[in-house]
Amino acid sequence: MTTPVLSVENLSVDYEVGAGVFHAVSDISLVIPPGRVVGIVGETGCGKSTLAQAIPRLLPEPPARIRSGKVIFQGTDLVPVPKAKLPMVRGTGIGMIFQEPLNSLNPAFRIYDQIAEAVQMRHWREDGILPSFHPGPAPFDYSRRPITMPSTADVLSRPVMPGTAKDVMAARRVRTRTDLRDEVLDYLRLVRINDPETILSLYPHELSGGMRQRIMIAMALSAKPALLIADEPTSALDVTIQAQVLTLMKELIDEVSASILYISHDLGVVAETADDLGVMYAGRLVEFGPVAEIFQTPRHPYTKSLLRSIPTRYKSDWPMPTIPGSVPNLSQLPAGCRFHPRCSLARPVCTQEPPPALRVIETTVGATTSHHAACHYAEEVPGLP
Amino acid sequence: MLPTRSTNVASRVGRSFLAFFRIMRANPLTFAGFILVTIILVLAALVALVPSLIIPYGATQDTGAHEVAPTLFRWPPSLAHPFGTDQANIDLFSAVLRALPLDLAIGIGIAGIALVAGGILGLIAGFWDQPGTPGGAVSVVILRTTDVFLAFPSLVLALAIVASIGRGIWAAILAILITWWPYYVRLVRGETLAVKHLPYVTAARAAGVRETRILTRHILRNVLEPVIVYFTLDIGTVLVTFSTISFIGAGIPWPGPTPEWGSMMSFYQGNYPLEQFWWFITFPAIAIFVTALAFSLLGDGLRDVLDPRTRRALAESSSASTLPQEAPPTAATPTTPEQEEEAEEADES
Repeated sequence: MTTPVLSVENLSVDYEVGAGVFHAVSDISLVIPPGRVVGIVGETGCGKSTLAQAIPRLLPEPPARIRSGKVIFQGTDLVPVPKAKLPMVRGTGIGMIFQEPLNSLNPAFRIYDQIAEAVQMRHWREDGILPSFHPGPAPFDYSRRPITMPSTADVLSRPVMPGTAKDVMAARRVRTRTDLRDEVLDYLRLVRINDPETILSLYPHELSGGMRQRIMIAMALSAKPALLIADEPTSALDVTIQAQVLTLMKELIDEVSASILYISHDLGVVAETADDLGVMYAGRLVEFGPVAEIFQTPRHPYTKSLLRSIPTRYKSDWPMPTIPGSVPNLSQLPAGCRFHPRCSLARPVCTQEPPPALRVIETTVGATTSHHAACHYAEEVPGLP
Repeated sequence: MLPTRSTNVASRVGRSFLAFFRIMRANPLTFAGFILVTIILVLAALVALVPSLIIPYGATQDTGAHEVAPTLFRWPPSLAHPFGTDQANIDLFSAVLRALPLDLAIGIGIAGIALVAGGILGLIAGFWDQPGTPGGAVSVVILRTTDVFLAFPSLVLALAIVASIGRGIWAAILAILITWWPYYVRLVRGETLAVKHLPYVTAARAAGVRETRILTRHILRNVLEPVIVYFTLDIGTVLVTFSTISFIGAGIPWPGPTPEWGSMMSFYQGNYPLEQFWWFITFPAIAIFVTALAFSLLGDGLRDVLDPRTRRALAESSSASTLPQEAPPTAATPTTPEQEEEAEEADES
């Protein structure tokens, strides 16, 4: 049994603002084994992005606060790690692709500078100039020489110190500017950018949204992260570009074979990319399991209704099925099951007792991940219309 | 064929020079400011290094004006004395020119020190502003201190400081410095606050960039642009303020060994009627005006030059734009390493 790249245990994140406490993420547990793509879907405001940003601890704290839980990345819990040490986990450890490609590149720097910074930072970490930890098996190895590194836990417990002058000199000798530039070009080609030499000297505003998102993906990959978090990478793009970037993502997922947390509000996108799927509702993970399994036999009424609401060309039922009601206010969550006001299966027990967090449901034979659902009446869900 | 490093650098310099002139041509007022500033700087350098080359008369040198008309001092502007002479027969053209390096150094120096000091404090106050943290406490201290200084009109405060620590050039410089830095703190802090929540800063953080590097690289570069523009505009303001302090009589004494535009104006204005001896006060005043105007014009247009967005647009306004189009994802063309040396320039930046 391989150790998971990331395991989130009972993670709860609150936002403490003037209007009250918003429970953005409540009691989420999640495991990402090496090389597996885990998708998370949910409506707007269900805590997807909070979860994505809480894992590398990118949330501004305060107003955000990790109330409880663990984020164990390669055997190290990131929650108690002091802020000053977090940068060494990010980038080379946990990479991120953001939702807004239009603003996620620094407008003042050329594309080359931005990717080169990411590549160089990885070089420095590999060479011991910057403190780092073992990034695990490199998912897509362009490296020109073997590198040995200490473990995550080792480094995170060590004081923040740059390498010795000798290390610095050694690294300078090995890597030259041309190497760096070649490597940047490699990553631009990896994300299928035609004519990467021209792109290098351009500023972000001179590129289209799709191109910028590709640059962002190249930047994230160039750090060779052990875990890549893609926070709705295609949502801000228009439909044709979305399809292109999605195709790229799918190809990269096959090529890179990295562990990926893919966050989206689009069930179709997740169905195409992910191996496992988690469904979030009002800050809770309500269902988790292999994608095919969930799409075939959803075991939570919310998932069932979501799947029913996907418009298709062939369905003739009109008006389109929707889920009645709306998402609850995260500061005044309903007692018991958070979905009960909108659930057709709801019974008195649902209004009082919260459902057990993700109990295992028997799965179809051959699935690698077991199927979980947080519902009192999970067995009855397949019978719903 | 590989381009050699030297030709590469030369071509880059040539290209940026060309781009600079295209931008200047697109904006005539900025160009005027640029030309004026260049002239002023060259003049100041000449006056400071080889005064005999352009200054006709030394500080106490006999101008010979009385030999033309022995009884007539205060010689009006003529070919021999373009700005006329004053009551002591000092050549005003020479005096105004000799004041140029000092006034310029005061303007650039005071604004520059205020920029650096206020800028650093502003970056710190803007970036680490989380209440309840040590950084937040530092930020509060910085901001409340600036509030104290900003509560007074800077000129009045500067005059009060000069009055309390004594007359003289250093007292005047110190007084202006003390009142000047808070404006930069406010400006830089505001810009930093606006920039630090932008997605690209979060993206940099997510990429593992350390906080100090985020501040000194990613944020500083984006804050710089309005600050430098403000700085160039400010040089003129400092100059005028210093001259005002001198005008009131607190700066550099005139008549004396060191001419300074403000003190010259102050002395002549107080002792000689403007209607009769108009050239006494007019030429130092014009010198202040032209210097302040030159830097203001340049600063106004500098914004466009500093912003990569407008810079390229301006530079390419005359030539056809060749932006690459969105590439279809499947049409990946693996280029051979031999072809990679085309766009070397990005390597240098």
